[in-house]
Amino acid sequence: MATTSAGASEIPNARTPKDGSAAPESDGREVVFSVRHLWKVFGPKADRIPEDSSVTDLSAQELREKTGCVAAVRDVSFDVHKGEVFVVMGLSGSGKSTLVRCLTRLIEPTSGELEMDGEDVRAMDRTALRELRRRRAAMVFQHFGLLPHRSVVDNVGYGLEIQGVGKTERRKKAGEIVDKVGLAGLEKRRPGQLSGGQQQRVGLARALAVDPEVLLFDEPFSALDPLIRRDMQEEVVRLHREEGRTMVFITHDLAEALRVGDRIALMRDGQIVQLGTPEEIVGSPADDYVRDFVRDVPREQVLTVRRAMRPVEDGEADQGPALGPDTLISDAIEAVARSGGAVRIVDDGRCVGIVDHACLLNVVARVDGPQHGEVAA
Amino acid sequence: MSNVSAPPVSARGTLGVDTPKGPAQALLQRRGLAKLLLLAVAAAVLVPLLAAKYGAAWPHALTVDVSGPLGKTSDWIINNRDSHWLFVYFLGHLSNAVVISVRAVYLLLLALGWTGVTIGMTLLAWRVAGLRIAATALISFLVSGLLGMWVPTMQTLALMVVAVAVSVVVGALLGLAAGLSERLFRILRPVLDTMQVLPAFAYLLPVVLVFGIGVPAALLATVIYAAPPMARLTALGLRGADPNVLEAVSSLGATGRQRLVTARLPLARKELLLGVNQTIMMALSMVVIASMIGAAGLGDRVYQALASVDVGAALAAAIPIVLLAIVMDRTTAAAGERLGADAPATGPAWLRGWLPWAGVAVVTAVFAGLGRMSGSLVWPDAWALDIAHPVNHFKEWMVDHLYSGVPVIGGTADWAAHFTNWVLNPLRDGLTALPWYGTLLIVAALAWLIGTWRTAVTAVLAMAAIGVLGVWKPSMNTLSQVLAALVVTLVLGFGIGILAAGSKRLESVLRPVLDVMQTMPQFVYLIPVVALFAVGRAPAVAAAVVYALPAVIRITTQGLRQVDPAAVESARSLGATRWQMLRQVQLPLARPALLLAVNQGVVLVLAVVIIGGLVGGGALGYDVVTGLATGDLGLGLVAGVAIVCLGLMLDRVTQPTERRTTGKGA
Repeated sequence: MATTSAGASEIPNARTPKDGSAAPESDGREVVFSVRHLWKVFGPKADRIPEDSSVTDLSAQELREKTGCVAAVRDVSFDVHKGEVFVVMGLSGSGKSTLVRCLTRLIEPTSGELEMDGEDVRAMDRTALRELRRRRAAMVFQHFGLLPHRSVVDNVGYGLEIQGVGKTERRKKAGEIVDKVGLAGLEKRRPGQLSGGQQQRVGLARALAVDPEVLLFDEPFSALDPLIRRDMQEEVVRLHREEGRTMVFITHDLAEALRVGDRIALMRDGQIVQLGTPEEIVGSPADDYVRDFVRDVPREQVLTVRRAMRPVEDGEADQGPALGPDTLISDAIEAVARSGGAVRIVDDGRCVGIVDHACLLNVVARVDGPQHGEVAA
Repeated sequence: MSNVSAPPVSARGTLGVDTPKGPAQALLQRRGLAKLLLLAVAAAVLVPLLAAKYGAAWPHALTVDVSGPLGKTSDWIINNRDSHWLFVYFLGHLSNAVVISVRAVYLLLLALGWTGVTIGMTLLAWRVAGLRIAATALISFLVSGLLGMWVPTMQTLALMVVAVAVSVVVGALLGLAAGLSERLFRILRPVLDTMQVLPAFAYLLPVVLVFGIGVPAALLATVIYAAPPMARLTALGLRGADPNVLEAVSSLGATGRQRLVTARLPLARKELLLGVNQTIMMALSMVVIASMIGAAGLGDRVYQALASVDVGAALAAAIPIVLLAIVMDRTTAAAGERLGADAPATGPAWLRGWLPWAGVAVVTAVFAGLGRMSGSLVWPDAWALDIAHPVNHFKEWMVDHLYSGVPVIGGTADWAAHFTNWVLNPLRDGLTALPWYGTLLIVAALAWLIGTWRTAVTAVLAMAAIGVLGVWKPSMNTLSQVLAALVVTLVLGFGIGILAAGSKRLESVLRPVLDVMQTMPQFVYLIPVVALFAVGRAPAVAAAVVYALPAVIRITTQGLRQVDPAAVESARSLGATRWQMLRQVQLPLARPALLLAVNQGVVLVLAVVIIGGLVGGGALGYDVVTGLATGDLGLGLVAGVAIVCLGLMLDRVTQPTERRTTGKGA
């Protein structure tokens, strides 16, 4: 187990449980989804793979050659906290879309534990599962999945129709949501008459209309133009800020993950290779794969001054302008440039460090070596 | 005997379809060579043996006389039709229900009177398909009346209404089951595929055997013929639903029934409507042919007129058939397009909802009432136009002036005689003289080269069955007509198709012509050829060519048009001439379409060559007609089975591997 669960347990990340056990996290936040040792294997006799310790360590290719099976999700463990945006990121084929479908059993997991609000999802019968899909977790899809023969408002109200809500109430509720996602005036259109971005707004509205506890996004904006994608990402950030709804967000786009995510799980070949905040992923990549992945990220827009600051030297503690510890490097650069000298980092009225030209440049130029070495070791 | 005819089963039966294009071609040729070699070896061993034992004609020892048992079965059925429980409690009720419902619809149509029916149908066409088609409907019904064909038109219409309703329901239910169950789909698909290639004549005898001649038999034959496309398209539509939508629907927690009703069926509506359209067209085609087994109406008029070579009367009945076909096709096709469009209904509010339908009903009732009050329920005789006499005069003029003796070009009858003497007779004699094992070997080689060993086995078995049934000679006669018609069809069809693919203008001229030609029932094609060539085998072949030509032209044009434009462009950039481009790029790339055209051509040609039995085509079609006319069901049934076998064989021999991905049910 020590090696097989490497994906989850040996990640250098303070927020994931170190032992991979089913015990909920103890930092006081409610857990919505709790996933432990989840497997999804496609192929002949798939259910034997997770138990067979002689094959669980094999690489994806070796596994395919030896057993004819493909492990789309391999021994994945994580928690999704209430109110956060949890991003699962990875290249195509890394198993992220399979993983999110496992959460509501649109794809049946092969083995592992899966709880929602403490309820065992894998043990649910069809009725309970249907209830879960109807009211508690709604999904937004890459290819929208809209019904082409229905108008926008009827598509948005479709989830409510499935629940058995009456027509007038459905229409009223759907109308509100349509306004909320910025589609007012297009209620009578058919999906075929809308642009891609508008269609995805309908998809989003359909998911919102059932007022779910969790929103699941499966690469929702991958099929959209870059500018529209940007709009939609901001829409999601705005919705999250307004409603604080829990979201699980699948994407292959790192910039998107960094923009919307509170925490990011980076997947490769079905395993989670690193799980952490955007700052942790960019600032302290767990291995060369992640490092390669985040190489082109403009670090000053992700990292905070916490990483850049140096210890306070004598006489600096109460001089010059002050910044909070969560200030982005890019903002600190501006402050330092304006003040012309060092800037204090103040946390709770106490000066915790100093940033100056050299510190900031080191971070931008990726020569903040010592720190990096410490964390990754 | 089947061990004789079956080609040796080789391990390398399946072609490397998924290998890349370049080497695949070479491999295919080498494989083809290997197959031929294997067959040649088998032939070298078997042929001397068979020749020594049986001789060249189909051996008597290998023939089973089925007419005796068939005659007994038929006698038994006739004797027990009023007493056996199967008839009394099941088939009897079935046939009563059919008679009652057809009668009810017919009486309703009569009660509406010609005013009510004409106005009602026009408004209906306007509601579902728009003004232009409404005008077509109005003109069509008026013309039917003018030609003095009002009552037969109503008879045909009544039969059509019931037949289409039953076919659509049966087909949709079958399709629904096959769309939801993978297993059923696998079983049903080859059956439906095969039913679609069989000539209409093959269905006549079995239903007559069970129900006797009359409306129930006609209706049942129609349903059997017309339901498969509905079933097929329903199943395909349900299976082809966008998986993204279905997943989204599941993710919202829909039950199975909700998924079906709110997503799968609406997503398949285009296919469903196409299915209704095809079913209507097939039903009309069959209702007309079924006049031979007791369906009254327009088909019966044509049939009677053809029997006495009264071209004028035949034409007077054929024109309403064609008009009916066009109206029904355009109405359902337009309805399909409207419903299939993703745009919401347009137009003023008062034109939507149930109100306009109520309006249609009220206006129809008013006109029906008006007609009734003025005392003219049936089209008034005074308004009928007699076209039979002028047409017959014209035909006599043609006989006198065009049939023969026209300077330089000869005459139509001369052409027919030449065609018969120089093409059909040698071909028929050649096929008959060819040793039977030789024929089987050729069939095996062709089917194996184009398809898989499974298709080859099916084709050879079908061919052998013809011999076993003892109808080898008439079958060879039919086959010779099919081959001659096929060659003419393909030469003309490929030629016109290639020209149309190269010229937008020619295509736009051809399109409406082909549209009309493809909607006309098979039966109708016999009339002009009889007028031109009198009776015999040549006119049957001519009708077959004309019937099959539109499909071949259309498939060829589409195939050539769909050739990868990048390939064409690169050829042009290399400086290829038009001829080089056609020969080296377009034709090779359009090969699948051309093979499909051959396959369709064969199926369509066979259907009409068989019907040609009505106009002196002889052979199997004539056997069916004689069997029906004289009550010799044994003769007709054997011919019917032979037609099925011939159809199967011809379809399999021309069926490229691509169409049969699973390899099942060959």
